[in-house]
Amino acid sequence: MASENIIVIGGGPAGLEAARGVADLGYKAILVEKRDRLGGTPDEAQYAALTPDMRSAKEAMDEMRDAVTDNSGVELMLNTTVTGSEGELGNFVVKAEQGGKQIDIEAGAVILATGFQHFDPGRETQKYGYYEHDDVITLVDAEKMFTAGNFVRPSNGEKPKSVAFIQCVGSRDRQIGNEYCSKVCCGISSKQAIEVRHHCPDAKIYIFYIDMRMYGYWENEIYWPAQEKHKVNYIKGMATEILKQGDHLIVKGEDTTLRRPMEVPMDMVILAVGMEPSVGTKEMAEVFGVNKNKYGFIETIGGALNTVSTNVEGVFAAGACTGPADLEDSVSAAGSAVMKSIGAIRKAAVPA
Amino acid sequence: MLHLPVLKADERKHSMDTDKGEKVDLTDAIFQLEKEGEWIVQRVPEPYIELDTKYGRKKKIPIEHTWHHKSCGQCGHIPGYSASIFWLNREFGLDYHDPTNQTSCTAWNYYASATSNPEAQAAVAIRNFASAYEVGYFPLIHCGTSFGHYKEVRHALVHQPELRRKVKAIMEKLGKPFVIPEEIVHYSEWVLAMKDRIAERQQLDMSMITATVHPACHYHKLIEDDAIYDSEIYGAQRTAIISGTLKALGINVADYSTWFDCCGFGFRHILVSRDFSRSFSVQRKIGVMIEEANPDVTVTHDTGCVTTLDQSQFAGKAHDKKVGLPVMSDSQMAALAMGAHPYKVLQLHWHNTDNKAFLEKLGIDHEKKWSEFQHEIQKIKDGKNEYMSWEDAK
Repeated sequence: MASENIIVIGGGPAGLEAARGVADLGYKAILVEKRDRLGGTPDEAQYAALTPDMRSAKEAMDEMRDAVTDNSGVELMLNTTVTGSEGELGNFVVKAEQGGKQIDIEAGAVILATGFQHFDPGRETQKYGYYEHDDVITLVDAEKMFTAGNFVRPSNGEKPKSVAFIQCVGSRDRQIGNEYCSKVCCGISSKQAIEVRHHCPDAKIYIFYIDMRMYGYWENEIYWPAQEKHKVNYIKGMATEILKQGDHLIVKGEDTTLRRPMEVPMDMVILAVGMEPSVGTKEMAEVFGVNKNKYGFIETIGGALNTVSTNVEGVFAAGACTGPADLEDSVSAAGSAVMKSIGAIRKAAVPA
Repeated sequence: MLHLPVLKADERKHSMDTDKGEKVDLTDAIFQLEKEGEWIVQRVPEPYIELDTKYGRKKKIPIEHTWHHKSCGQCGHIPGYSASIFWLNREFGLDYHDPTNQTSCTAWNYYASATSNPEAQAAVAIRNFASAYEVGYFPLIHCGTSFGHYKEVRHALVHQPELRRKVKAIMEKLGKPFVIPEEIVHYSEWVLAMKDRIAERQQLDMSMITATVHPACHYHKLIEDDAIYDSEIYGAQRTAIISGTLKALGINVADYSTWFDCCGFGFRHILVSRDFSRSFSVQRKIGVMIEEANPDVTVTHDTGCVTTLDQSQFAGKAHDKKVGLPVMSDSQMAALAMGAHPYKVLQLHWHNTDNKAFLEKLGIDHEKKWSEFQHEIQKIKDGKNEYMSWEDAK
């Protein structure tokens, strides 16, 4: 007997939206999450505010969590790790481990929503010293500080007088194999620069960039306000090294507008780390036999017209497990995956 | 106590073990080309020690049976540099070969944009590798430039069949095999691999010494994924070379803000704009080290770096700059720690900057040592000795 259940793997924004969508359309979603709580990376990394509208990330994730919790159309399976899969469209048997027990989950289709992980700046080809200098942090660290309501220098607890963001850390870097743009970092850095301004009204704030990629409305919603209202300085040029000199960091690099080397003392540096496929994404690609692209993200096969189908019939992917994506992309793709997966189950159920 | 949701740098956990390293690892390609009959891969002889590279690949460092590819500048300017490497090998009783038929790698010309072409560069490299292979020893490269250059040559040979074809024809003409070593190894990697054994036999307490370190650009900036990194040294954010060795000797390694900068040599600069080299070396390196770290010595691992840092200081002195910082190689420091003679082996008299205060701080009677050296020189002058032997250098 074919199953009409849809298993959604990953409880981040894409997975939450997919599970809600499946239930809204009258089907049963089985939402599997390996952590003990829902919310994915925005929850785990303690994001403070969303880009571009500055809405509280916790409030947004609560809204998404509420939509699946106590929803009769969604069966939640937390602390559950998928370990294998058998079968095909209409008759998948997904093997999982839950509390040391092996369980089988029957489903007609699969939606992978296993997301991304932040780039580890220790692998950066530039010399940013994240593992050497307390005051070199990442966008993720900064989010945690904003969430805690205390943005200070980790080295001494004082408010920074100067803060620099460095863009494209782990993105657009051929040498480490990450040739792609991570898409959201320019917007998030600009958003965070505004947040830094709120915490440190007198600080000098810089963003060092290759080029700012503020697509769509982010241009007028974040980029120009950051400069005009919040006095953030955008400097076109790559920082190449960060070292310490006394109590300060020294940011070295090239100002490509002035066409000369630069050395700027800073109190804090925030590395705009990009996106890479999460461990879960790589593992699930193996489990379901789904193709990955050369960067390790799940490869979708439909080009621009179908961003969720994979090479395995009945297995769909949504959100940042398919490549760099913002929240809007992830939620939109989840809706598309829901539609495609239900469509596939219905077609499979009709006798030929 | 400050409680923040952000970890301090030394609490952050960086895993060097990443599958991204595969993208820059040529190992499989090198062996695949051997299977296809393109060349012979010379295996790293046992025993070897494995050290981590930037992206976590384990690099095999041979301990003995090494073929010592010397440096033109070392032999000409600072002979105690390579003598110290040989002295260390002999102290440990290791089998090595000091060839007399090695060709200059010609990379200096290449990097100074002066001459040569890829075929000539690659053919010279392979000729040297073949010479090592023919006598059954594994290349150990003394020169940072040759080391960096050979890594680039290897990269080009792996990726360019046409270049391989041309080099193969040249090797056939020379009657030599087309050989590529499994690893391209710099001598300072060998010193680092030997650091614990060196420390075990250390005779001089060096704990009162503060040193700054200058890593050679051609060591860690060319094909950077093949340089040695260690999660215990700079959190694996900078190469562990030299610094790891000095720490094993109990030396305090001090930081300074121009650590990544060139020594001033710059290849083209030292040839056509030497004043720039001198100024850069004095003002951007030596001056900054003294100002920020006040070290007793600065230690590096390449010919160009030792000579430039050492032999530029006279220019600073002439302009009343604060200079006078002794410059040595890691091999010299290691040999000194194990009791090598500062003049007979390290040959510090060839160094330009006064190092007597440094020796005194280590408790070395440099006047006595100088007199012992002079005694050996006198024997040569008197015709009693043709040259100073390893036995005389004890």
